[in-house]
Amino acid sequence: MEKFAKAFPSKPLAAKTAKPWALAGVVGSGNLEVLLERGGRPSDTMECHVETSIPGYKASWLAALADFAHNYPAGGTKVTINDQGAPPVLVNLRLRQAYDHLIKGDK
Amino acid sequence: MKKPSSRALFAKLFGPSAKGISVEKSVLTGYAAAGGTKVCVIGTCDGTYVDNAAALRLAAHVIDCVEKHPKTPIVMLVDSAGQEPNRVAEMLGLASYFGHLLSCLELARRKGHKLITVATGQAVGGAFICYGMFGDRIYALDSASVGLMPVEAMSAVTKIPVPVLRKLSRTMPSLEFGAKPFALLGGVEEVWSAKEDVQAKLAKAIAAASTEDNRAELGKKRGGRKLALDIRKKVLAAAAR
Amino acid sequence: MTRGPLFHEQTARQRLAALVDPGSFDELLPPPERITSPYLAQLGIPVSFDDGVVIGKAKIGGRKVYIAAQVGQFVGGAVGEIHGAKLTGLFKAAARDKVPCIVVIESGGVRLHEGSAGEIAIAETMRAIFECRAKKVPTIAVIGSDIGAYGGMGILSTCCDFRVMSEHGRLGISGPIVIEKWMGKKAYDSSNRALVWKTSGGKTKYLLGDADALVHDDAGAIREAIAKLLGKSSAVTLKAMKTRQKELEKRLKRFGQTADPDAVWKGMGVRNIEAASLASGPEFAAMAKRGK
Repeated sequence: MEKFAKAFPSKPLAAKTAKPWALAGVVGSGNLEVLLERGGRPSDTMECHVETSIPGYKASWLAALADFAHNYPAGGTKVTINDQGAPPVLVNLRLRQAYDHLIKGDK
Repeated sequence: MKKPSSRALFAKLFGPSAKGISVEKSVLTGYAAAGGTKVCVIGTCDGTYVDNAAALRLAAHVIDCVEKHPKTPIVMLVDSAGQEPNRVAEMLGLASYFGHLLSCLELARRKGHKLITVATGQAVGGAFICYGMFGDRIYALDSASVGLMPVEAMSAVTKIPVPVLRKLSRTMPSLEFGAKPFALLGGVEEVWSAKEDVQAKLAKAIAAASTEDNRAELGKKRGGRKLALDIRKKVLAAAAR
Repeated sequence: MTRGPLFHEQTARQRLAALVDPGSFDELLPPPERITSPYLAQLGIPVSFDDGVVIGKAKIGGRKVYIAAQVGQFVGGAVGEIHGAKLTGLFKAAARDKVPCIVVIESGGVRLHEGSAGEIAIAETMRAIFECRAKKVPTIAVIGSDIGAYGGMGILSTCCDFRVMSEHGRLGISGPIVIEKWMGKKAYDSSNRALVWKTSGGKTKYLLGDADALVHDDAGAIREAIAKLLGKSSAVTLKAMKTRQKELEKRLKRFGQTADPDAVWKGMGVRNIEAASLASGPEFAAMAKRGK
């Protein structure tokens, strides 16, 4: 297992979201879960915590998360990830799904 | 530890009244006495596998007891290596046969029969879940093999090396196999040594039994299962909100 | 008839959302509480914020229910200490509050990585289920996933008042791979899907009377079946136990020497085996004379 955390600059999240938290994905082989929570943090950064079963890919994780923080207004949120070897494209998809659920609800 | 023969073991638990227990294909049914009180006995011996027919015979005896001997305590002896791993048994619904046995035991409990389990030999996996673990209070002889499975078997399935599991089991008794670690989890009320007066212990256990499931409390108190009780309480509190 | 996604392909959270009244699901011990398995963490295996079971309060057809769904992708939906304690707590709450309780099963049984703790948790949950039944609080197991209900969870499902299955669901104790290892490929070829499903699948279980409803592989159909059962319960009485004893004795006597599942189907009134094999769950249920 490898564990790391970092905060990335991001524009503030919308003042109102559908939910206080959202979860996307499932922990399973080649998959991951992304928990996205709002509130109680500096509004200009997205705080990220990653636990992955495949060590050695920290740089690509940080790049993917930095990209997301840059592309979406997610300032003030906390992202927590439990990963079991998901490919980068799935990481991206789950981040977007979690973000969508947070903003618009589950539907 | 040398394992006593089945008959010797019955005599140790029930004295001369043990002759009231009949054994057929390693399934036991009968009536005996513990501390001068009549008891109904069901169980397994010889480490047999429990199949559909065995579950039915045990259930039939529980029904007989409920019908003809109201409130007579039921003592369940467990020495079984597991459920019969057989396709025909599965096709005919072995799980449902076990569910029926459990339902009959529940009927007995609701009708005032005390349910006392003594793990005498192997008390492993599905064979322990299908009746023994359903007792009001569960005891084990120190010679009994109690638990999910030995560390070697766990390692073979999970692919986690045996030394890793052994090392972890020192701080996590759940991973260890045996009556004593199982008691630390609260799964067994007390472990009895064969050297002790188990007849008296059994009589005392029957007298003291209560239908309240205390295993999570015991597991927390004894430190072997630290989370279960608190999480259950959290769920109960959250549901009430 | 247009249908949504197949139930067996949905995740636990999708299943819950599709089973209950829209927006009514209120998760208990939700992911932000981060109650994760210390066993898996010690073993270097990824943990999950719900520990493989999502539990909560909801409504079905306006009626209050408690409902749990196991996450099959996470360690095979297997029951560890936390997972099991969530189930025990939910059924205990159901008994206390007299609210029907539903468990959507997708599990191979006890989580081996947590040893005997999961085994005891299953036994505790069974006690809690019977607490519900003593108070006539309906308990329903839903079995319609890829993994099915095996091991201790298979046994646990038979403790509930009712079982709702899809033709895709499987109910048993020992899985096909375990039995093949034990008895040899000749006795049970676990790669023979038709044989596996005829051994443990929803159709055979419904035919024998172990499943109370056999429905489409679809959340809407499962919800309908649940809604019909919510007002009912199956009491544990001496009369009921004696009837069941006779049923199970008869079943064993009739089919105990039969290795061929088709003989069981025929014996239970299925005339055209091929048509029955191809039929959907509800079609099958209509075709077959329900065996008692």
